[in-house]
Amino acid sequence: MTNLQLLALLPFMVLATAAVVVILLIAFKQSHTVIQVTGFFMMCAVVLAMWFVRDTLPREVPPLLVVDGLAALFTGLIIFSVLVVGLLSYIYFEEREENPKEYYILLFLATLGAAVLTISRHFISFFIGLELLSVSLYALIAYLRNRNNAIEAGVKYLMLAALTSAFLLFGMALIYMETGSMEFTAIGNAITKSGTSVLFLMGIGLIVVAIGFKLALVPFHLWAADVYQGAPAPVTAFIATVSKIGVFAVFVRFAQAIHLHENALAVTVLTVIAIACMIAGNVLALMQQNIKRLLAYSSIAHFGYLLVAFLSGDAGVGAGVFYLLAYSITLLSAFGIITLLSTRRKDADELSGYRGLFWRNPLMAAIFTVALLSLAGIPLTAGFPAKFFILTVGVQQHMWLLAVVLVLTSVIGLYYYLRIISTLFASPPLSPAKEKSLHPLFYAATYTSLVVLMFLLAWLGIFPGFIIDNVQEFLVIR
Amino acid sequence: MLIEKYIYLAIALFCIGIVGVLARRNAIIIFMCIELMLNAVNLLLVAFSKMHHAAAVAKGATAGIEGQLFVFFIMVVAAAEVSVGLAIIVMMYRNTHSVDVNFLNRLKH
Amino acid sequence: MNSLLAYIPALPLLGFIILSLFGRRSPKPVIAWVGAGTVCLAALITIAVGVAFMQSTPANGAYSQLLWSWFRVGALSVDINLRVDALTLVFIFIITFVGALIHIYSAFFMWHDRDMARFFASMNLFVCSMLLLVMADNLVLLYLGWEGVGLCSYLLIGFWYEVPSNSRAANKAFLITRIGDTALLIGLFLLFKELGTLNMNAIQQQAPQHFTTGSADIVLITVLLLVGGMGKSAQMPLQTWLPDAMAGPSPVSALIHAATMVTAGVYLIARMHGLFLLSPVTMAIVAIVGAVTLLVAGCSALAQTDIKRILAYSTISQIGYMFLALGVGAWSAAIFHFFTHAFFKALLFLAAGVVIEALHHEHNIFRMGGLRKRMPEVFITFLAGAAALSALPLVTAGFFSKDAILWYSWSSAGGTSVLWFMALVGAFITALYSTRLMLVVFWGEMRTPVHQQPDRGMVIPLIILAFFSITAGFIEWPHNMLHLSLFSDHVQQVLPATVMKRDLPSEWLFQAIATVITLTGVYIGYMLYYGKSGVRWQQSPPLAATRDFFFSGWKFDQLYNFLFVKPFLFLTRVNKSDVIDKLYNGIAQAGLRLNGWFSVSQNGSLRLYIVGVLAGILFIITLQLLL
Repeated sequence: MTNLQLLALLPFMVLATAAVVVILLIAFKQSHTVIQVTGFFMMCAVVLAMWFVRDTLPREVPPLLVVDGLAALFTGLIIFSVLVVGLLSYIYFEEREENPKEYYILLFLATLGAAVLTISRHFISFFIGLELLSVSLYALIAYLRNRNNAIEAGVKYLMLAALTSAFLLFGMALIYMETGSMEFTAIGNAITKSGTSVLFLMGIGLIVVAIGFKLALVPFHLWAADVYQGAPAPVTAFIATVSKIGVFAVFVRFAQAIHLHENALAVTVLTVIAIACMIAGNVLALMQQNIKRLLAYSSIAHFGYLLVAFLSGDAGVGAGVFYLLAYSITLLSAFGIITLLSTRRKDADELSGYRGLFWRNPLMAAIFTVALLSLAGIPLTAGFPAKFFILTVGVQQHMWLLAVVLVLTSVIGLYYYLRIISTLFASPPLSPAKEKSLHPLFYAATYTSLVVLMFLLAWLGIFPGFIIDNVQEFLVIR
Repeated sequence: MLIEKYIYLAIALFCIGIVGVLARRNAIIIFMCIELMLNAVNLLLVAFSKMHHAAAVAKGATAGIEGQLFVFFIMVVAAAEVSVGLAIIVMMYRNTHSVDVNFLNRLKH
Repeated sequence: MNSLLAYIPALPLLGFIILSLFGRRSPKPVIAWVGAGTVCLAALITIAVGVAFMQSTPANGAYSQLLWSWFRVGALSVDINLRVDALTLVFIFIITFVGALIHIYSAFFMWHDRDMARFFASMNLFVCSMLLLVMADNLVLLYLGWEGVGLCSYLLIGFWYEVPSNSRAANKAFLITRIGDTALLIGLFLLFKELGTLNMNAIQQQAPQHFTTGSADIVLITVLLLVGGMGKSAQMPLQTWLPDAMAGPSPVSALIHAATMVTAGVYLIARMHGLFLLSPVTMAIVAIVGAVTLLVAGCSALAQTDIKRILAYSTISQIGYMFLALGVGAWSAAIFHFFTHAFFKALLFLAAGVVIEALHHEHNIFRMGGLRKRMPEVFITFLAGAAALSALPLVTAGFFSKDAILWYSWSSAGGTSVLWFMALVGAFITALYSTRLMLVVFWGEMRTPVHQQPDRGMVIPLIILAFFSITAGFIEWPHNMLHLSLFSDHVQQVLPATVMKRDLPSEWLFQAIATVITLTGVYIGYMLYYGKSGVRWQQSPPLAATRDFFFSGWKFDQLYNFLFVKPFLFLTRVNKSDVIDKLYNGIAQAGLRLNGWFSVSQNGSLRLYIVGVLAGILFIITLQLLL
């Protein structure tokens, strides 16, 4: 491994160091605040490291890794999300008399897993990244162990994730048997030479199962609502953003390497899955009274939309990245509100708890409203150009069925988002003010970051051109 | 080639795992069955690795050890998974005084 | 200069934002300064841009400024681009300059209204939307401005919403223009489907290659655009909203329903001349619509007693002239008439507003009278406006523009003797009702006492407008009189020159006929209405019936009520829970039913979830084995 290759991996090494630093801090009995602040700066250091190595890209680190523009984009997205999740975690865990410190080790390890996924070009790194992410998530989901539902969510995720990993490995083994290689590009070369066999396709199908599980695609979506509901709110935000971004990144890279879009069978399967996602996600959310579950269902639908971009092939990658960016910012601000409203005993996930929020806390209601409008894809919020780009690439690739389903289900989606918004503005019930026990600085920081997210949503909605141009520039680095 | 026999064995093990996962209610046994499935894959990978290695040697090249390498990674990861998984199952036992997954039904709809 | 363009619509927008956010709590002077000041600044910038444009015509014949590139994906880009060429320059000059005068006038006119901030906010928003409409370089942005002015018009017609009839008038205006808007929107969709672009330049360039002249596509598209223009510009048969729109304050009538918004249809057709020239059928329809409208509305104006309704029908009639000119291909004549008409009609409305205020909100001209002595400034300016309206030869702006239209309605390639004759009759009627209006309001005995004199600030805009009503025509003379054609030279940078017939009789002859007709109209008006004679001759039964028919605007409202409103109400009554409702309910119920089914799968059982995953795998593998 040359120096330049090491240099390109610098951000990931800093990320790995972050976990180790947190372990050391715990060993020296530092307080939650110190760990939180250190973690924040470590994440900033990762960003700096990425800035530092930007000129050395793209760089392959054979056989396992490749750091290119796609990886940089997705890693940037992941780090951004983790920064916000970390910030939300402080208030959330400090209030719940648990020992919150180890949480950060797991958080950073899971992040590392997701980041490794974005740079992997080999089954081994793919698997390691995925498992690093999953195993950390098992513990993260069940972190608040005294709340019965957290453990239940943890067990469900554990069993299903382990099961699908087994299928993933089986699929990898089948592909390995057919092509004799585990590198994505080598697999791609092998099949262009000798064509695809049934076993190879079966292997692809099994890999799609594992990826579909992580992205909560229908019919592997059943865990999503339960885990979203049971997990602590910041962890739910993490699952909804970071873990899905990482898995989507590796899926894109894998698909590009093996020319998945030229395989009619795989395209058919994914089309069926995408349509099922869009319909099932939106329909399930229709009557849902639990906000966390509702967001889970809506994320199923959103990944259905994202699959439309994915199926458009190379043209859709830019649209997909933009969509993920808009979606992450939106979900992070929504979960930020949920976190801030959660009480010591219970997460604020009942819709009835949001009744009349506007009259109690107009700022929160405004942020939440913007986030919901963005999820619904209303113009002048980030969700609109995101959905519009996807629709555009879909139409350009003549995927009329998908485009029609996308539009129709978006209309259904409007219903439940607007239902929540109308609840926010309804007349409020009498409710006790929430006790505040923490230093106001942290509330100020959280509020500030949420307001920033809200403005980002508006900015992306009004000037998406800037981001989309930059995304395209990054995607060229390969 | 004996490769088919390895494949049949591995598929048999894998299917036993699946049936176990489907049929049992005990969380620990379900977990064991999943580990069985992982090991079926390990067997498969080693067999394929050997096959590709033999083919490569016949051509005078060196290749085909990736599968065996991968097996080590899988073993390590599986061990990590088991440790975390068992810890969670222990917590589950503490909360519900049972390891029956049918009792996990508070989160729904 | 390019970078200044954005400020022209941005300043009124700023005024709107300030007034709508803080207007309620601001003192009146602040409201007046913000409301009128922003438009005045915009007018100054427009004049600066105009001077620079005149001095050296920019490359491509237009200034343009990219404001905001919303996004570009592949071939599709959504940009907001302002473009000012010679045609747009005329429009933005009228919008900002006349608009500024009207705003200054309004600052005094609306001083005692408690909703002054709302008034100025809406007016500023209107100016901004109207500027966007004419400065847009693509039809999407134009449509945005088009809807914006419609909204502001609605808000301002119903400004005094406590009176129910005002709200009804606002609704009527909104609904009827909506018919036109819908047609326009469909036209835009078709255009986009055919050409794949809505950029005006691109349309002008690609249309001749894409469409064959007179093909069904182009006829359909242009007719739809025409219907859109007819709705906004109150042309037959969508003219019925404009007289009722007079329920708004007088400055609103002056700005929106005389000078600017109602000419949006003229602008649209002139801007899309490339398309209309490809469809001779539509051009003929435009001319006929204009000619019929100018006659019908002129006759209605003859019978009205409400001073503002007279002016409203006169506006419809004058826009009819513009459509006639567009239809015969006399593009620059149409725009020239828009130019002069904006001055004198705004003047007439503003002066009428002063008169109405001075006489305790009296609208009926037969209860006015004798104001010549009591309100001399208003009398002089109103006289200038009425003279321009009736197109008195050589001394008024209206003569030069209307004479050009009369001439071209015969002599241009699209013109015919019938159109010319209709226009001529229209000119006679115009002279007649202008004289009637003048004589009844300002001569005779005073029937209602004047209780207040106008403010100085209201008179000054009147005087400025009166000055332009007289002189604005001198920049363009008929060819046989003087070789001075500044206006058409300017406009023909964008618009094609008029194609003429061969072997025409002398233009002098036409001018002589038009002059005689106009003067006859004035003389007959004088005979009928000077003194008391007017009331007597109207009493004979056949004339009274005709008068009532004209008074009701040719009974168009009753006709539409019978043709559309009643059947519609009948349908809605019969069809309370109709098929369409069932469809919507069906979708909702299907959603709920599906929701119920899907929710069963989310029963919380881990083992079911495992089965779900395995079923998914089976599904994928079966699909692969089958295909």
